[in-house]
Amino acid sequence: MQALSYRGPNRVKVTTKPDPRIEHPDDIILRVVRSAICGSDLHLYSGLVPDTRVGSTFGHEFAGVVEEVGSGVQSLRRGDRVVVPFNIACGTCFFCERGLTSVCDRSNPANDLVGGVFGYSHTTGGYDGGQAEYVRVPYADVGPMSIPDDMDFEDVLFLSDILPTGYQAAEMGSIKQGDTVAVFGAGPVGLFTAKSAWLMGAGRVIIVDHYDYRLELARRYANAEVVDYREAGGHDVVGRLRKMTDGRGPDVCIDAVGCEASGSILDRVTGKAKLQAGSPTGLHWAVQSVRRAGHVVAIGVYGPPWNLVPLGELMNKGITLRAAQCNVKRYLPHLLEHIRAGRIEPKGIITHRGPLGAAPDLYHLFQHKLDDCMKCVLVPNAA
Amino acid sequence: MQQFGIIGWGADASVENRPGVPEERHPPRPLVDVGGVPVQQAVGRPSAKSRYRALTPVYGTAVPLRGLSGVIRRIAYEIPDYKPRRWMLLMLADRVDVIEHDPLRLTLGLGAIAAGVLGIRALSKR
Repeated sequence: MQALSYRGPNRVKVTTKPDPRIEHPDDIILRVVRSAICGSDLHLYSGLVPDTRVGSTFGHEFAGVVEEVGSGVQSLRRGDRVVVPFNIACGTCFFCERGLTSVCDRSNPANDLVGGVFGYSHTTGGYDGGQAEYVRVPYADVGPMSIPDDMDFEDVLFLSDILPTGYQAAEMGSIKQGDTVAVFGAGPVGLFTAKSAWLMGAGRVIIVDHYDYRLELARRYANAEVVDYREAGGHDVVGRLRKMTDGRGPDVCIDAVGCEASGSILDRVTGKAKLQAGSPTGLHWAVQSVRRAGHVVAIGVYGPPWNLVPLGELMNKGITLRAAQCNVKRYLPHLLEHIRAGRIEPKGIITHRGPLGAAPDLYHLFQHKLDDCMKCVLVPNAA
Repeated sequence: MQQFGIIGWGADASVENRPGVPEERHPPRPLVDVGGVPVQQAVGRPSAKSRYRALTPVYGTAVPLRGLSGVIRRIAYEIPDYKPRRWMLLMLADRVDVIEHDPLRLTLGLGAIAAGVLGIRALSKR
């Protein structure tokens, strides 16, 4: 089959690889029809995630058609159309029974930090991802959700990750009616976080970024007020947010950027020098901006071993900090209803589509934010 | 008010409408009825295994360990995940892996090592 193959930092190509096979009775093989490139794939692409091996296939946001079914699978048949959560989860372990599928105990043998994830290095279990013609999907009775007949692949593709991730971010902020919510990062997750904040009754939603086209989409798609941190008094985004909120700061601040944030020379330099795992500027700003006794949420991806975090401000301001990979499974039916009701139109953020062979170009485009790139979707096979 | 006219505003204002509240389901119960603990995967070998848990019933087999990078990764995986040196070694192995798969870089790297060794020998004989 044809599949994306990692060759080293900032280098991927599409190569011929052996077809995936059933390796466990609960596996299926999926023929991939749509596969998105996620902002967190760029961390892999940049070589920031430990144990990303040459030859790995990325891709944890995908949907497709069941091609082959393992002997233990009860709920799916060949030809079924499904969307697949990025978490690989058994459904029955200590954590899955509590709804915490992102930290499933039975899908990642490599460490005790996180559960299995498709196409996200051997640190998350060593599974190939869906930027390929076919992909192996373990625990197929647990994760995949059948796509309703009245919906197409792109209607539900982002249920695999970024939509529930944005929703969970807003949810972890414990938003109350009328709250002011600041979201750092106007990427796809940031936009879905903002949309979710409105669903939860936010009174104001402010998005911070520095790309004009993304800020424009934040205004238009997410109905948010925007702050361009380049114009915020020489990067004084914290001061700008306080001024906008009677000096108090937003009630909820959400970091939807993660470990490759720009905006602070100190963080960029120490991140590049490996003195910390990337650049946590989004999280710094969130902690510094939020009102006393407010909520801060980290949903952007960070990796081991450590980052410099303003712990003194967290403690003295009495901030509640929450962070997690998304437990996608528990959000699927609820968000499907929001899509069906027209409250969220996920495919409205897609700016680029292309065949699998275009993946290297699309990675380049996405990483450098060229051509107003917001979200890239690969089409490895026809529906 | 900014939210005026936003479709669906407040639809999930009540926390009862939020699927992830409370954070942990209570009482705990299986997500789906799959009839108990999954059987053990027998195909392929996992690259690593936590020293604190049994081997997981499924694991990925995307890219097996190989070469010098594989040796470094094996050493790294002997170190617990709460020790920074494990992650530093894995990052080192990633860079070695790239060089191993790039003939030009590999040749230049080996050439540099050989030149260094020969240079040290020559200096030591003077």
